Amino acid sequence: MSGRVNVVTTDERTLDQFLKHVERRALRMAEMATGQRDEALDLVQEAMFGFVRHYASKPATEWMPLFYRVLDSRLNDWHRRRTVRGRWMAVWTHNADDDEADEIAQAPDTNDPGPLLRLAGNEAGQALETALTRLPPRQRQAFLLRVWEGLDVAATAQAMQCSQGSVKTHLSRALASLRGQLEEFA
Amino acid sequence: MKPAEKNSDHPAWLAQARDLLDESAQALDAATLSRLNRARQAALEQRHRRLPRPWFLSAGLASACVLLLAMAVWHVRTPGPVATGPALSSAPAAASSSFSSNDMDMVSSDDSLELYQDLEFYAWLEAQDQDSDG
Repeated sequence: MSGRVNVVTTDERTLDQFLKHVERRALRMAEMATGQRDEALDLVQEAMFGFVRHYASKPATEWMPLFYRVLDSRLNDWHRRRTVRGRWMAVWTHNADDDEADEIAQAPDTNDPGPLLRLAGNEAGQALETALTRLPPRQRQAFLLRVWEGLDVAATAQAMQCSQGSVKTHLSRALASLRGQLEEFA
Repeated sequence: MKPAEKNSDHPAWLAQARDLLDESAQALDAATLSRLNRARQAALEQRHRRLPRPWFLSAGLASACVLLLAMAVWHVRTPGPVATGPALSSAPAAASSSFSSNDMDMVSSDDSLELYQDLEFYAWLEAQDQDSDG
């Protein structure tokens, strides 16, 4: 019986360490996707709950792509809800004279790279953050998972629930777009 | 795990990008880290609450099976109320055992209930016949 308890404790400790390892990067990814810290925190929390509920019993070697798969689903849901809300808002305010002002208000604030980079005063960091937030969501996620998190093509495809060819395409376009934007900043 | 773009055309700026992203992740403020910690603990507690469920389900299922088995055994071994009636105690043993074995037939039969209500009379009549023969 004590052996069983020890196994459970070890599993929970391993799970805790894994979540601690990925939580900061997950938050930054969600923040770049949503442009809002609070929304990002909520999405990461939902991803943790979903991952623990559905995939914690899987081998630890499979956790990384599975966690990002859950997070990616939450981010996609968030974008869908935002799109639907944007359509309703567009219909609601169709006759208003300040349509342009509303679109600007709903757009992510790409000039605000976040308090950390602002405090560091790092122009390169700001430029990268801005360039990443301007990328289409799938390209940004492919770049972050492949280049930052270091997942291989197969694991990235599993996380993004797409083919490996799609991952390569998204990453190629992301790299080209980022390089172009960063050269403009330089 | 090392990033996968080592052999691309842009290793230098990709490495710089990784470093910048790492710095931004490491420099999160205390309030944000506290919320992340609470979220992580809540997710783990959720798992802890879910773990005992299969054990309780198994125990409940086993208890239900044992109870069902006990009721079945008790039902098979317990004689019906008609066979243990005090009026039959004076009847011959053969007649008593006959009634006992036919409990279910009597209960499930469509015959008139009056026949079974007069069983005491028939038992007395049979005893009288045996006495007169003897």
